Amino acid sequence: MIRESYTRVSGTKEWIELILRWLVGCVFIYASFHKISDPALFAKSVYSYALFPSGLINLIAIVIPYIELLSGLFLVFGVYPRGASSIINGLLVLFIVCLSINLIRGHQFDCGCLSAGEEMDKPTRWLLIRDILYLMACAYVFFYKGRRRLSLMQ
Amino acid sequence: MTMNSQKTIKEAVVILALALITAFSINFISPRGIALVGQWDTSQGVVSARTKNDVVHEEREINDIMDAKAVFDEHTAVFVDARRREEFEEGHVKGAVPFPVKEYENIIESFIESNPFDVPLVIYCSGRECEDSHVLASYLSDEGYLNARVMVDGFPLWQSKGFPVEK
Repeated sequence: MIRESYTRVSGTKEWIELILRWLVGCVFIYASFHKISDPALFAKSVYSYALFPSGLINLIAIVIPYIELLSGLFLVFGVYPRGASSIINGLLVLFIVCLSINLIRGHQFDCGCLSAGEEMDKPTRWLLIRDILYLMACAYVFFYKGRRRLSLMQ
Repeated sequence: MTMNSQKTIKEAVVILALALITAFSINFISPRGIALVGQWDTSQGVVSARTKNDVVHEEREINDIMDAKAVFDEHTAVFVDARRREEFEEGHVKGAVPFPVKEYENIIESFIESNPFDVPLVIYCSGRECEDSHVLASYLSDEGYLNARVMVDGFPLWQSKGFPVEK
């Protein structure tokens, strides 16, 4: 009986891990598309944060979308899920810090998160809450200890 | 450090290395790729990531608003406002022609009918963080305009200098 309920709990946890891993993975794959399709526009979003030195803006704009895309794909297919989730957690912490700094100093900018330009209207605090929720989901994936469902390389 | 965290770090390094190789390779090959270092200094002109087919050409730029005013005072150039129509209606350089870039297809024919190709054009938008004036200058040069220049400081500085404006 105890064994049965233990199996049920761990089964549920497996499904939660799978759903959260797919959710975060898909969001990051989706988020990378518009950045990859128009790197110049994304570079302008990075510039609009007014946080990075000029010499780094283009490099950030070139590299970040592919880190998002590959980490997202690795999460979805369950290849190196801990490595991929640690990168995405790192990115989310970076985004949260950048958004918070601009929220505190009241700097208006295009976050370039999921689609360029459109997010100007969204208050920064909502973007911040969204990123914190993704961080919690991805932290669950990172700290998950059991067997991972539909995972090619645990 | 535990075995587990060592494994995680190794995995992360593999993913990051793959991402870096992919990113720089695709950026190098893609026609939409950007330079490794952009032009993000507003004192140098309009900011730009410097794409392979970059519309921002420094030689088109009128960097000093006083030079633009001198051209205005000669009354030979046509000032072209590349901003959105609502912004134009809120105020623009006196005598300027509205030409929102997004309405290019609808406007270009009538623009060509009323402006010969040899008339000097001074195109502006909202300042040094706005590329629309460069985009329009590039389109109009391709149409055949011989002298399409960009007033990089745009309408905001023109207005704050107290130069002629109208609504």
